[in-house]
Amino acid sequence: MAKIVVPGVEVAQKPLRMAYTYTDGEGTFATVISLLSEEGKLIPLEGPYEPLQDDYVIGFVAEVRFGGYDIDIASPYRAFLSSREMRTKLSLGEIVMVRINKIDEVRSMELGDVRSLKDGILHKISPVKVPRLIGKKNSMINMIAQASGCRMLVGRNGLVFISSDGNYNLAVQAISMIEALAHTQGLTDRVSHFLSEKTGKSIVPPSADSNMNQAQTNGEGQGQQEQYGQREYSNSRPQYRRHNNYQR
Amino acid sequence: MGSSNKKLIRDDGKRMDGRELDELRPIAIKARVLNNADGSALVVWGNNKIIAGVYGPRECIPRHDQSLYRARVRARYNMAPFCSLEEHGRSGPSRRSQELSKVISEAFENVVIAETFPKTAIDIYIDVLQSDGGTRCAALTAAAVALADAGIPCKDMVAAVAVGKLNGQIVLDLSKDEDNFGQSDNPMAFSARTGEILLFQMDGLLTKEEVAHGIEMAKIASAKIHELQVEALKGAYDSEHKTKLELNIEPQKI
Repeated sequence: MAKIVVPGVEVAQKPLRMAYTYTDGEGTFATVISLLSEEGKLIPLEGPYEPLQDDYVIGFVAEVRFGGYDIDIASPYRAFLSSREMRTKLSLGEIVMVRINKIDEVRSMELGDVRSLKDGILHKISPVKVPRLIGKKNSMINMIAQASGCRMLVGRNGLVFISSDGNYNLAVQAISMIEALAHTQGLTDRVSHFLSEKTGKSIVPPSADSNMNQAQTNGEGQGQQEQYGQREYSNSRPQYRRHNNYQR
Repeated sequence: MGSSNKKLIRDDGKRMDGRELDELRPIAIKARVLNNADGSALVVWGNNKIIAGVYGPRECIPRHDQSLYRARVRARYNMAPFCSLEEHGRSGPSRRSQELSKVISEAFENVVIAETFPKTAIDIYIDVLQSDGGTRCAALTAAAVALADAGIPCKDMVAAVAVGKLNGQIVLDLSKDEDNFGQSDNPMAFSARTGEILLFQMDGLLTKEEVAHGIEMAKIASAKIHELQVEALKGAYDSEHKTKLELNIEPQKI
């Protein structure tokens, strides 16, 4: 059974290089409130979004400037999107999905690979709970998309775009439920039970095989989620990756 | 310090409120009490009621305050206009609240791993709703829980408690009357894992031996307070988190 650890709790008795820890040369200690699994993996329960290169994030246009836009990506840092990255213009408040092309040591960002998202709402969850919302091979997010009939896109920064063509209230409810219970076990089953009850249809978590089909049939939003599902998540993100990026 | 000849320890060796010399007031801590802050905590410590909210890391305004190397840790200690019956601390910006904001910020600068978020600020807002002596210690304790609840990377948690001298004896956790009429007041904050002292102030006089004795007493008490902080943080993840805040009525003897 995984247990909750607070900052300063020893997670290993030897110096290790792990995300969300620090070492004093003798032991390794947690830096944020997290779940410590029996295998010694640390999964954070809270925390702000740390932008990293190649992250796909969702944000909105916060300011229209000369030659580009400032995008609010729900991180402490504003990100700049140059007009050269697009053929069309964006308007203030428009929701976009972007990739972080470049980020430097003072966290100035250049964005690219823009896609404007129309007719939907933004919902914010804690960025450390994004892996849980997506689930293994997109199982969780596909289940919600199927039950609610909405297209959904999840950014690494914890902003979720939900299209308004389905029952987005249901989608928001399910997302809030996942966020509140992210630290518990058997969450997929609980969410599937909740969705089945609400829709009156049988919503089951997709198995690994059927998942592929669904990703193709579920509309344009799904392609992106595929990429997220295959990534390794926060607990295994190497902390030194940022430094490598800077040296290049 | 007021007059020091006032009798504050009874003939049976207990203090005026019936506590032993090394006894804390009853303490209750609850994490995540505010929806709009990134992290928050409520501490009820005897007759003190203190709420702390943490925002950030967020853009540092004014910009001349920001650093390219680290996040600024800014605490703001404030007393509510209704927090006190008498002269003990008045609301509004004052020399006293400026001092406390400063020492609390500096205590947390030692534990927050600020290099992770350059150019930002981490704001800790502490409001004293009801005061009865020892508010800076309770404020530090509340703010530490709020910081952990916000998921801000910290090396350690902070727990604080005061010791003082009444009628020549070293006692733990002074109340307002003991602070006002005792011989010395000595608030301390400890890093929970390492036991390092992050805050040490002294009002009145103590000998070298008395300070050493006081530090030992406060260290043991801070370990007890740390346990309560951890419980509060874990409690925020219970399924029945929306229970009422109950004060542990029994004073906690160290």
